[in-house]
Amino acid sequence: MANVSVAAEWQLLYNRYYRKPELYPMRWKHMDLSRNKVACAPFGGPIAVIRDDSKIVQLYSESALRKLRIFTSSGALISETVWKHPGGRLIGMSWTEDQTLICIVQDGTVYRYNVHAELIEPNVSLGKECFEQNVVECMFWGNGVVCLTEGGLLFGIPDFKVMSPCQLAETGAEDLPNCMAVIEPKYTVSGNVEVLVGVGDGILIVDEDGVQRVEGEAVQGPVQKMVVSWDGKYLAIFTHDGRILVTDINFKGVLLEYNCESALPPEQLAWCGLDSVLLYWDDTPLLMVGPRGDPVHYFHDEPLVLIPECDGVRILSNTSMESLQRVPDSTVSIFKIGSTSPAALLYDALDHFDRRSAKADENLRLIRSSLPEAVEACIDAAGHEFDVSRQRTLLRAASYGQAFCSNFQRDRIQEMCKTLRVLNAVRDPEIGIPLSINQYKLLTPSVLIARLINAHRHLLALRISEYLGMNQEVVIMHWACSKITASLAIPDATLLEILLDKLRLCRGISYAAVAAHADKNGRRKLAAMLVEHEPRSSKQKRPPLEFFGMIQARPLPRDLFISYARCYKHEFLKDFFLSTGQLQEVAYLLWKESWELGKNPMATKGSPLHGPRIKLIEKAQHLFSETKEHTFESKAAEEHAKLLRIQHELEVSTKQAIFVDSSISDTIRTCIVLGNHRAAMKVKTEFKVSEKRWYWLKVFALATIRDWDALEKFSKEKRPPIGYRPFVEACVDADEKGEALKYIPKLADPRERAEAYARIGMAKEAADAASQAKDGELLGRLKLTFAQNAAASSLFDTLRDRLSFQGVS
Amino acid sequence: MAQIPNLDNSPLNLKSLSREQSQRDLVKILKDIRGKKCLVIEPKLGGSLSLIIQTSLLKEYGIELRHLSAEPVQTDCTKVVYLVPSQRDLMKFISSHVHNDISKGLQREYYIYFVPRREIQCEKILEEENVHHLMTIGEYPLYVVPLDEDVLSFELDLAYKECQVDGDTGSLWQIAKAIHKLESSFGVIPNLRAKGKASVLVADILNRMQTEEPVSSSDMAVPEINTLILIDREVDMVTPMCSQLTYEGLVDEFLRINNGSVELDSSVMGVQQEGKKMKVPLNSSDKLFKEIRDLNFEVVVQVLRQKATSMKQDYTEMTTTNQTVSELKDFVKKLNSLPEMTRHINLAQHLSKFTSKPSFLAKLDMEHTIVEASSYDICFEYIEEMIQKQEPLINVLRILILFSVTNSGLPKKHFDYLRRELLHSYGFEHMATLNNLEKAGLFKKQESKSNWLTVKRALQLVVEDTDTANPNDIAYVFSGYAPLSIRLVQHAVRSGWRPMEEILKLLPGPHTETKRGSLCEQSII
Repeated sequence: MANVSVAAEWQLLYNRYYRKPELYPMRWKHMDLSRNKVACAPFGGPIAVIRDDSKIVQLYSESALRKLRIFTSSGALISETVWKHPGGRLIGMSWTEDQTLICIVQDGTVYRYNVHAELIEPNVSLGKECFEQNVVECMFWGNGVVCLTEGGLLFGIPDFKVMSPCQLAETGAEDLPNCMAVIEPKYTVSGNVEVLVGVGDGILIVDEDGVQRVEGEAVQGPVQKMVVSWDGKYLAIFTHDGRILVTDINFKGVLLEYNCESALPPEQLAWCGLDSVLLYWDDTPLLMVGPRGDPVHYFHDEPLVLIPECDGVRILSNTSMESLQRVPDSTVSIFKIGSTSPAALLYDALDHFDRRSAKADENLRLIRSSLPEAVEACIDAAGHEFDVSRQRTLLRAASYGQAFCSNFQRDRIQEMCKTLRVLNAVRDPEIGIPLSINQYKLLTPSVLIARLINAHRHLLALRISEYLGMNQEVVIMHWACSKITASLAIPDATLLEILLDKLRLCRGISYAAVAAHADKNGRRKLAAMLVEHEPRSSKQKRPPLEFFGMIQARPLPRDLFISYARCYKHEFLKDFFLSTGQLQEVAYLLWKESWELGKNPMATKGSPLHGPRIKLIEKAQHLFSETKEHTFESKAAEEHAKLLRIQHELEVSTKQAIFVDSSISDTIRTCIVLGNHRAAMKVKTEFKVSEKRWYWLKVFALATIRDWDALEKFSKEKRPPIGYRPFVEACVDADEKGEALKYIPKLADPRERAEAYARIGMAKEAADAASQAKDGELLGRLKLTFAQNAAASSLFDTLRDRLSFQGVS
Repeated sequence: MAQIPNLDNSPLNLKSLSREQSQRDLVKILKDIRGKKCLVIEPKLGGSLSLIIQTSLLKEYGIELRHLSAEPVQTDCTKVVYLVPSQRDLMKFISSHVHNDISKGLQREYYIYFVPRREIQCEKILEEENVHHLMTIGEYPLYVVPLDEDVLSFELDLAYKECQVDGDTGSLWQIAKAIHKLESSFGVIPNLRAKGKASVLVADILNRMQTEEPVSSSDMAVPEINTLILIDREVDMVTPMCSQLTYEGLVDEFLRINNGSVELDSSVMGVQQEGKKMKVPLNSSDKLFKEIRDLNFEVVVQVLRQKATSMKQDYTEMTTTNQTVSELKDFVKKLNSLPEMTRHINLAQHLSKFTSKPSFLAKLDMEHTIVEASSYDICFEYIEEMIQKQEPLINVLRILILFSVTNSGLPKKHFDYLRRELLHSYGFEHMATLNNLEKAGLFKKQESKSNWLTVKRALQLVVEDTDTANPNDIAYVFSGYAPLSIRLVQHAVRSGWRPMEEILKLLPGPHTETKRGSLCEQSII
């Protein structure tokens, strides 16, 4: 049976099996972990390596300068940088939850790097005391750190996202601690970080507010090493007399005890899931201790680094990455030697089926009733498998069994296939993220995708998010921003095409965000081009575009800018128009300013402030005259300036402040009303006022002061160029029938005459004139006017009838 | 009678989905600011709000009401709440108020609620004035105001100027947003027809909004609105320049309807109180008004006369013969409509004072001549004379625009001549007015031949022999001229744009026709 070989690789610890498959042979060359400080991120994250400056090592053919190198879990180099920081030795180095590498040096300075070995500014200091006393040890957890100084003080950064240091309570102990462990804030009652300090004969619990001594059977005598389990519930302790103890975090009861017979504490102490504890000395086999039974020894001939995970431990050596984990129950039930569980029989049945043996059917009959659980076990076991061919066989067994199951959730297999495809894709040595299925579920797909894009694995991230039906926007957005940063040499238009090509993949993506990034990278033009494509109109806000020439080419931002500046920043706007050659717009602005000056109460009529107003208008006129399209405006401005001067003079000569800012027509009327006909005439000639307008103005003005004699005199001056209509209208409007009658007969058009008579209520005369005009429609209208008057109305009817007889209408 | 229109008979549930929502939003804003406060409203916005909520109701929330002006706010309240449209010029008022308070050592809390949304440019001005940090800024998302049971207003008075003159298309976003909000209440409108540059843009923004924050169509099986027709004002500048001749139209022409009511001297309504003004609400809650508002004014006079006569008859019968109880009841019911009757008879009488003036009739005559494009010279001389006689500028400009639009501008010589006459008659400050009109294309130099005659013929805009009493064509509203935009709507509803593409091409701007809804959208991916 093929199953035998699988189980043969397992080790039994009490009643549980453990396996230690190799995940990768490491791709790096000539690596000696013992010479280096190594920081490995959990969840299959990257590995940071730097030569350990606390050890004396021989330099081979390498630079004396230290290099910080970052590898994937498969040992492929992601990035490297030369370490040149001051501040003394590198004391602690660890990865945060969002895969930032934290490096703490002796003087308490914290340097941060991303996976691309790029320093994240700013650097943070742990404070003055750290600087003076030197940091000697750092205890990290996923999102924070606690550091110990030579003076025995404890400082911490409780949250790397905030990066604000704090000091913990002083222990008061004289000696430096033997060992320390940290309980993450999320597992403590207070919500603050707590530090377990093994000092002297016991353990102290230290937090920001105080120190507390631990009482308990587990603590009898000095402690040499401690480590808290990943769920924060248990503590493994290595005692002064060589025993390993596991107790719960409140020190109640001992769950495990084993005498290691070593006076020296292990170099590394790590939890393997929650079931066992690993102890590592470099010269003895790796020791795995469980709650009961004999420990397991793993032999090694290279230095090791233990990387605790939520469901096991990864073991890194110079040449390989292995995963030590408890064999899942489903796998045990299938592959355990001599297993007759339904799942094992199903797996066996598939084997028979493949070999066309009738025994396949026999097996199935045997387990008919428990077939669903057998299928489930095969699926589950496949999920825990790293070996792709074994995943496939297990899934085939599941699918084979499912065919005979009527009531099995059919999408379970599909779901598992999906998950495994994602896992296999990221486990590929090229990518190097060896996630187990449990880690994957704990990490969540969206975090995985975020990690992939941070590592610039955009294509894979895109494919995975597409495959899992997740929003691809995050990926594409990140890609676009990275692309912009990395493409300084590519011209805007080309880069825009490249970007748009991908941005189009995702509907509703915010181009503005990408544009903002482009703007930050000093690519204004690209930013503007991108914003044009923003589909979310509400976000079509533009990055600060300050260059006139730049916005001039884009109508929308230009108009927005202009309308904003029009209301608020006149000077700015003038500069803009000047720089873009729109002289007429500047002229309009100047002209407008002159009106504003006029409205200003300080610039009361007749004051010398007319000077600046006129100057502004003349400036405007000058600018208008620069372009021949604005001759009209230029002339108008010239006339305006002239008018203001004349009005000013008039105000001086008449001593009446009533002229400035009235129109030319108003000025003429005012002059006539004041009886100053000479001045009126002067204005008329100065501005070449047409005879037509002159007559209207003068007639109205004379009617206003009811100077009917002057009006009559005026009518006789010469034959009025627009006839006598103005005279009639003026008199009728003033309700002066007698005066009106002087002019009505002089109206040339009988229709006009008819209407004029009608307006002063002379029906018969109106009718006569209308019939003279031979206008039936007019007669009808007049009849309406005289609707109240029966006699008049019949008169109009008769006339109309007569007209229609004549066939003229 | 309340000025807030009764929306019970609306074809859509505007009352609860639109108006009551806006009421709640406002009340929430005011309630969230604890204690006594002074609410400073921009006057125009105050008018719009009067269609949403009764001011007496606001007082219940411990509010002193003020109108926004340049003058500092006089109040004892320590909290000042500004409710303003996002207009840049208003920011100066507000900042000057704050500076004034500071100089007097008054410590107040300031809140600004922008209607319908905040705008960066406004806040920028507050920043520049160094008051931004003192403000709590929010939004009151009032995008539409129901004016009547079948009319919604975006309340964007300045949109046309902003778009055409300033190139500021912010209002288009607001329009799209307003429609999008309606869609979230009434379902995605499946048919969208747009004509004109701005309308096509609104349609575009609307579709993008649907992509961005889709209105779920699942909970609404059938959308309540079937077709959305968007037409640019620019497409039909002729109609608004013509004098309105329906009853409601004439009231608006001569007395101005504001926020669904008209303000009159009380003497007009037969109340003898010297110089006192009174507000008369005009909306469909008034049954008689509903019946006559859209009739040609000539007909309205007749209808009112008939009604008055029949009532008088009923009354005589009532007093001379014996009536059954049910007949009595009927009569009393009719009596209920008596105040409405009196109101409209008074109004109509007042209006006829204006309509019988020869100058009004002459103006109508001229409008018709221009629309028919029959005699250029007569029209030109008429306008010239209006200017020389210094008739009210607004009247002059209306007819001038009508003239310019139908001729697609005036020959340069005439253009310059009339502009000069205008500046001479009304003052040089109107250079800016002329410049704006030119930018908006309303009064400009002729650059191409006008196609007005073709449009007029193709859309049958001038209809001879309209029977104003029993109209069978919309042309009755202007006594013979059928509004261009109404014709477009008629076609759009009847057959869509396709059969009339040729005509549409004669009018400014592009046109689009889209089918919308969940099905079509997937094809875009």
